[in-house]
Amino acid sequence: MQPVCIVMIEDDEGHARLIERNIRRAGVNNEIVHLQDGASAVRYLFGADGSGEASAGRAQLILLDLNLPDMTGVDILAKMKANRHTKRSPVVVLTTTDDEREIQRCYDLGANVYITKPVNYEGFANAIRQLGLFFSVMQVPEAE
Amino acid sequence: MIGRSVGARRTQAAPSRALPLAASLLFVIFIAIAAWITTSLAERTDLVRHTLTVETSLSDLLSSLQDAETGQRGYLLTGDEAYLGPYTRAAKALGGEFARLSTAIADAPVEQRALTELRATTAAKLNELRRTIDLRRAGDVAGALAIVRTDHGRELMDQARVIIAGMRAEEARVLARRSASAALFSRTLLGVIVASGILAVVFVALWFRGTRRYARVLERARENLSAANTQLEARVAERTAELQDSNDEIQRFAYIVSHDLRAPLVNIIGFTSELEATREDIRAELPETPKSQAIDRDLTEALGFIKAAIAKMDRLIGAILTISREGRRAFRPEPLDMAVLVQGLADAQRHQTDEAGAMVEVRRLPMISADRLAVEQVFGNLIDNAIKYLDPGRAGRIEVSGEGIGSRVRYQVRDNGRGIAPQDHGRVFELFRRAGAQDKPGEGIGLAHVRALVRSMGGRIDVASEPGVGTTFTVTLPRMPAAV
Repeated sequence: MQPVCIVMIEDDEGHARLIERNIRRAGVNNEIVHLQDGASAVRYLFGADGSGEASAGRAQLILLDLNLPDMTGVDILAKMKANRHTKRSPVVVLTTTDDEREIQRCYDLGANVYITKPVNYEGFANAIRQLGLFFSVMQVPEAE
Repeated sequence: MIGRSVGARRTQAAPSRALPLAASLLFVIFIAIAAWITTSLAERTDLVRHTLTVETSLSDLLSSLQDAETGQRGYLLTGDEAYLGPYTRAAKALGGEFARLSTAIADAPVEQRALTELRATTAAKLNELRRTIDLRRAGDVAGALAIVRTDHGRELMDQARVIIAGMRAEEARVLARRSASAALFSRTLLGVIVASGILAVVFVALWFRGTRRYARVLERARENLSAANTQLEARVAERTAELQDSNDEIQRFAYIVSHDLRAPLVNIIGFTSELEATREDIRAELPETPKSQAIDRDLTEALGFIKAAIAKMDRLIGAILTISREGRRAFRPEPLDMAVLVQGLADAQRHQTDEAGAMVEVRRLPMISADRLAVEQVFGNLIDNAIKYLDPGRAGRIEVSGEGIGSRVRYQVRDNGRGIAPQDHGRVFELFRRAGAQDKPGEGIGLAHVRALVRSMGGRIDVASEPGVGTTFTVTLPRMPAAV
């Protein structure tokens, strides 16, 4: 069985670094793949051919920011949940938007968790550490 | 433009008032003529009756004269007093008959003259008759017959007949003359009536035509107006949609800005905290020298400023976010008992009010149908502000009053606080702007938020204030939310 890989799709390098640090502080040592924009995320998840076979056999957990420079994270979420290879990978939406409709839409599309980044750093760090703890006990299926 | 052209057409096409007036005048003339005709006819009937009366009287007179003569003849022949009956009756009746005739022809001088003549003749005739009768009664038959044979009596009788015939002729002449003039008058009258009738018909036709034309013009004006109205409504709807669009855009903009500003802020906050942690590590590693202590102090100061600035920035962004979110929130209008609601808000601030030595008085307030949360925020903020900016020099008094004005309701929050300088009246509603001495905590958000809420509810807020006297905020809201 492959170790679980955390795929972090986050355009803000600072946020990415803070998220990574706090996950590590929670004692999670899994590999973290950081993708900075929508296009590279799509390429990573679905491969150059876009079929999604690139994800086959991977055990991955997605940390998804919705505000990406080249596309919205919602599109990536929809694409993932519609693809037979990626649909079972848990997706944690981690974003600044707490718009009710946006949250509903993400859950409708099959997001597993929706987290709003707290502006207060203590809260933010705390949330990420809890998320890390959550990751450490979470079962992630291998993609088909 | 439209209004002016309609007005011009109106003056041009309004039917003349003179036409119906003339028609009414004609109608009055009609009635007068009809009344006159009726009276004239009655007069004419009187005239005919008068002539008949004269005729009858003349006949009666002649007949009485003949009766008198007949009685005399009978007596002269027989000497029997019984034959004198007709004579006696006729002689008695003649006086009354003369009187009747005299009255009947009182207005005709020619006939009056004839009547005088007739009276004299009659008197002479009666005198002759009496003389013969007296002679016969005395037994002198021959004397009586001699008088008869003088033919004087027959001549008198013929004379009376001639006079009576003359009077009859005169009466007939008068009647004929009057009839002729009446006929002429009737013909003239008929002409006038027919002419008036034709004129009236023409007037009515003219008036009717004018009215119809006016009605057509009115109808056209009405159509134009309704078309203009429809256009206007469409234009208003268009503008409203445009405004709504730009308002939505501003809301989205505020939302996006606040979120995009937040992302770097998370980094600044996060790495500042990381930096603090790192500083702790450094401090643990460095020896306790005066120089290292100085560096540590500088670091602490710098980090303190950074954190204070971040905290402020965070509050401001939070405020923008709150306002933009309030603008996006769908209002759920419900009937609100404002007196209860405002009293509840005042009670919630009881602690601050007591501390400031102030009191909040809630008067009778009109009901309103609006979003509870929004209304609570509006009045909560206004009361909170009033308490916050009281004049420490006097006991604070805050009064909330209200009145209904048609479809709108006006509420006033009046205080006797320190007031706002005239040049700041507009500024107080601006985001992040504050007025007066900056001796109270605050970000300059409250009133901006209040104004955004009031506007979203379709109302308006105004301020009236005099420094050192007090401030009155007036909130005008629709009694019922506008149907969307």
